[in-house]
Amino acid sequence: MRMGILCSRLRVEEKLLFEALRKRETDYEKIDDRQIALGLAEGSLGGYDVVLIRCLSHSHALYAAKVLNSHGVRTVNTYDVIAACGDKLLTTLALAKNGVPTLHTMVAFTPESALAAIEEMGYPVVLKPLHGSWGRLLAKINDRDAAEAILEHKHTLGGYQHSIFYIQEYIEKPGRDVRSFVVGDETVAAIYRNSSHWITNTARGAKASNCPITPEIDRISCAAAQAVGGGVVAIDILEAPDGRLLVSEVNHTPEFRNSIAPTGVDIPGKMIDYVLEVAAMKSGR
Amino acid sequence: MKIGVLCSRVRLEEKLIFQALRERGVGFERVDVRQVIFDLNDVQLGDYNVVLMRCLSHSCALYAAKILGERGVRTVNSHKIIATCGDKILTTLALLEHGVPTPRTVIAFDKESALVAIEEMGYPVVLKPPVGSWGRLMAKLNDRQAAEAVIEHKQALDKSQHAPFYIQDYIHKPGRDIRTLVVGDETVYAIYRNSSHWITNTARGGRASNRPITPEIDCLSRAAAMAVGGGIVAVDILEAPDGRLLVSEVNHTPEFHGAFKATGIDIAGKMVDYILWSAESPILHLRRRETSASSVEPSSHSTIQGRER
Repeated sequence: MRMGILCSRLRVEEKLLFEALRKRETDYEKIDDRQIALGLAEGSLGGYDVVLIRCLSHSHALYAAKVLNSHGVRTVNTYDVIAACGDKLLTTLALAKNGVPTLHTMVAFTPESALAAIEEMGYPVVLKPLHGSWGRLLAKINDRDAAEAILEHKHTLGGYQHSIFYIQEYIEKPGRDVRSFVVGDETVAAIYRNSSHWITNTARGAKASNCPITPEIDRISCAAAQAVGGGVVAIDILEAPDGRLLVSEVNHTPEFRNSIAPTGVDIPGKMIDYVLEVAAMKSGR
Repeated sequence: MKIGVLCSRVRLEEKLIFQALRERGVGFERVDVRQVIFDLNDVQLGDYNVVLMRCLSHSCALYAAKILGERGVRTVNSHKIIATCGDKILTTLALLEHGVPTPRTVIAFDKESALVAIEEMGYPVVLKPPVGSWGRLMAKLNDRQAAEAVIEHKQALDKSQHAPFYIQDYIHKPGRDIRTLVVGDETVYAIYRNSSHWITNTARGGRASNRPITPEIDCLSRAAAMAVGGGIVAVDILEAPDGRLLVSEVNHTPEFHGAFKATGIDIAGKMVDYILWSAESPILHLRRRETSASSVEPSSHSTIQGRER
């Protein structure tokens, strides 16, 4: 069995994954995405039974998985999962199509039509870049003045990313959201991310505490994971004032360092067991 | 029969397409993508038989086709074709998977590994942005100094997108390349694009002249079109010094006014006939949820199941 782990800078997460592999006495090769060149005809990283994708950059993860998958190398996650999770528009479409409760979302292609969509939806709304993590460039817009200013700034930023306007209703959440981890078809852990700020990423200072995996959280987490194609994903869930749970995002290369202590769950161990399971499968992805 | 044409600025191409539709007595709706708002939670079936995608912006075309496709609306081209042709990495992989000859290509994610890959391939090489049109930001690198400088400038440009470096073998072509248009399973025209510059796009000054569709060109063009999923696509073909023909790119929203003048072929008519044909053929591949109820009523001014202001 040959396992590769494609990564860039090693975070705590990757070190924990290596440790889990060593505990299982599984050989693995660390591949630095900054040092490889992939021949598209030969798919130079052949010979692995499975490659765990842990790149920092979404785009690196996406293309590496694509090249590997097209040469028959299995990856966790697969290209399709990375593509669906790495683009918020595609995530929302996948959730809506599969009947997973999600937020009301509109898309427009110019600042003018975006403003019309925002006014129609009503303030406050959240504007998000289609690609991006760690809560970067998320904008909560409470009035028309803010909308005009943000839209102009996005337009001036330019580029592919900022010319698609992804407009989402704002959910008044109770000073926290829920992040759950799904590995294969199991919800292995969930945390509350508590913050006085509306952006609750732990990278932005939110404090993690254990969240009991109720049947409801389990069900919506698994449904969201299935909607994007399975694998190892983290689900961001919002609690609406009326009690509904809504999935806002699904992450394909989750960080989990702050979730192990509060939950007491060996998340990296669960992930590695799943990757080994995928490697052992005879065929298919 | 309900046909939509999704476009932004109307170019000569779109005018020719509208004219061809009118000549056939086909009613259609022109929808300006700049005014459309899509509600992503609205999963009701759309009521267009087909929507022709003629957006100027690749990303608009890409997402609009995806959203429409999810609602069971057929688009020409399909989201899959637009996604594959709009990204040179995906195009090259698709061509290789289908055994279509294409220049040798390597991707790298870092400036150091890109430089190693370039040196390994040997100069000259061409560096292309994976997403982009009209020959923009294509760089022919003849030596290491050029490679270093261009890589550094690319990194300075790159706005946190971390686009991979797409490195391709430079083909010494004879002052021209070949562009063909495939509509369905027919190669409709072939032209030379003549230029003293290595970038032969007509948008960059390449001059179009008619080129007979030989069986070899026909076969290669249709194979390339099939590799990306069919539809209406333009295929760029390079003639290597050893006589091989290599497909370099496939385009999902081709401009064709230069080819129209050079060949005299009714290109817009061929395209419209294909659209009408595909509007009538059944959709077999779409998975749909019949049960999803949408909270959003379609408004009276609903267009393309998005709303136009």
